[in-house]
Amino acid sequence: MSETSAPLSIPWLVKRQNDALLWTLLAGLAILPLLVSSPNLIRLLFMTFLWVTTSVAWNLIGGFAGQVSFGFAVFYGIGAYTTALAMNAGVNPWSAFLGSAITAAVASLIVGLPTFRLRGPYFAIATIGISEAVRVVMTNLSFTGGASGYRIVEHCAFRQLEHYYAALVLAFIAAAISIFISRTRFGLGLNAIRQDEDAAADLGVNPFAYKLGSHALAAALTGMAGGVFARYAAFIHPQGVFGFHTSVHILLMPVIGGIATVWGPVLGGVVFGIVEEEIIASFPEIHLLIYGALLILIILAEPGGILGAFRKLYRRLHGKHAG
Amino acid sequence: MENTRANTPILEVENLTKNFGGIAAVKDISFEVREGQIFGCIGPNGAGKTTLFSLIAGALKPSSGRVRSRGQDITGVKPFRLVRAGIARTHQIVRPFREMTVLENVKLASYFGGETPPGAEAAERHAMENLAWFGLDRFAQRPASILSVGLQKRLEIARAMATNPSLLLCDEICGGLTHVETAAMLDLLRRIREKGTTVMYVEHDVKAIAAVCDRIMVLNYGKKLSEGTPDHIQSDAAVIEAYLGHPPVKGEKSE
Repeated sequence: MSETSAPLSIPWLVKRQNDALLWTLLAGLAILPLLVSSPNLIRLLFMTFLWVTTSVAWNLIGGFAGQVSFGFAVFYGIGAYTTALAMNAGVNPWSAFLGSAITAAVASLIVGLPTFRLRGPYFAIATIGISEAVRVVMTNLSFTGGASGYRIVEHCAFRQLEHYYAALVLAFIAAAISIFISRTRFGLGLNAIRQDEDAAADLGVNPFAYKLGSHALAAALTGMAGGVFARYAAFIHPQGVFGFHTSVHILLMPVIGGIATVWGPVLGGVVFGIVEEEIIASFPEIHLLIYGALLILIILAEPGGILGAFRKLYRRLHGKHAG
Repeated sequence: MENTRANTPILEVENLTKNFGGIAAVKDISFEVREGQIFGCIGPNGAGKTTLFSLIAGALKPSSGRVRSRGQDITGVKPFRLVRAGIARTHQIVRPFREMTVLENVKLASYFGGETPPGAEAAERHAMENLAWFGLDRFAQRPASILSVGLQKRLEIARAMATNPSLLLCDEICGGLTHVETAAMLDLLRRIREKGTTVMYVEHDVKAIAAVCDRIMVLNYGKKLSEGTPDHIQSDAAVIEAYLGHPPVKGEKSE
């Protein structure tokens, strides 16, 4: 058995490396707060973990399955509001996060059932419309405070590290799910749908069900990220969590890092988490313009993102046949 | 049981019609394919071959008429269900997954093409066996995009066969191939039939189709012109006229 499967399983080494990298990162980031006590760094990493989560989540449907969505703010926002409402009703935060995953996943089915019948640019355009419609509704919904936002009242001391570890575990779960999917039948099916949906269907893949499934998984993770953020921020408003810029951020990160790969979205999330505040602080009026320009630049110059650029460089250094 | 099964056609098409706007691309076509046959379908360009093919393969819904397989109605059944039920197709213009390896292309079919999904190892083994059968095993780990057109056509068929179909629908697999490649491809079809898979083969090259088919149907302007053995078809006056044209007859407008 092992004789026949060994030469086939070239990705075996990659598999081991990916696992090792993931566990090393988790261990390193878990002990980091014990070594350095900088609330500012912890806050930056906390936000970075959330961005990595949403970036990896978006990549499950936008990258692996190739269904580009401009509407992930819907899931982030619904997750944020679910946790906020649940916690104010006395639910403990961990159950509230789980609730966020469920409401966001349900929302993804409502979005996906009609829109996954559309193809290519039409799906992307439909997600923009839905996202804006939800934002407008939330801006006018009275029981959540409408445009003036919603406050979470937690009757206990603020422990920053609790938030930090919640976000770290969530990012780890997202990355682990992404790595796992890339190795399974489900992942191969998504990959086929991205490349040629009709050819995939002709070989037995059910594109509609697969798109719905990965969309729901992506939404659940994004919703939890929204919930973890809401608890930390203690105040949320529709222009923020439901804002179009949130959708753009979530889409931009995997593009920066390398779409449809396992580590690209993680890398993109880290880069974005680090530079985001700097960009907003330096260019408060035009930061969206900068993101738009960046998006166009990447798509024109290196559609594979940072990871794609690295691969090209590696190939150039090691001759044509590597990779 | 055995008897009725042998007598029930593996593919039965009844009064199939497809209109695009006011134009009938396929008009009232009926035929049967028997188990173990290589059934050919020819016709000049625009005769409705590919439309008929797409109707049977579930890519298009017919305006009227029925398609049955072993007595079961499969009209308008979606392609992913059809392939799981044992009816696979190939594309006229090959559609490999270019960002996957040759092995992954076939493994996908092994994984998804059956009623119940096999495990990862079983799928890989099955895919490898299939690649070997088609002489593609030495390219297993190469990206599908590097294969030549001839090998990509072979991969297209290998992928369809990895779903273990009882009926294989082949759309113009010899287009753009050299004589030697065409001969090899036709030989492949014969071997597929020997393996126990019934083949419906759509082609516009008369020679290719006459060389392998047991029975041939000729289409022209969306209608069935003739059906019979290769010898019968090649001597049919109507067929010769459709392919080679005819001298202008008085009173008829030329188009």
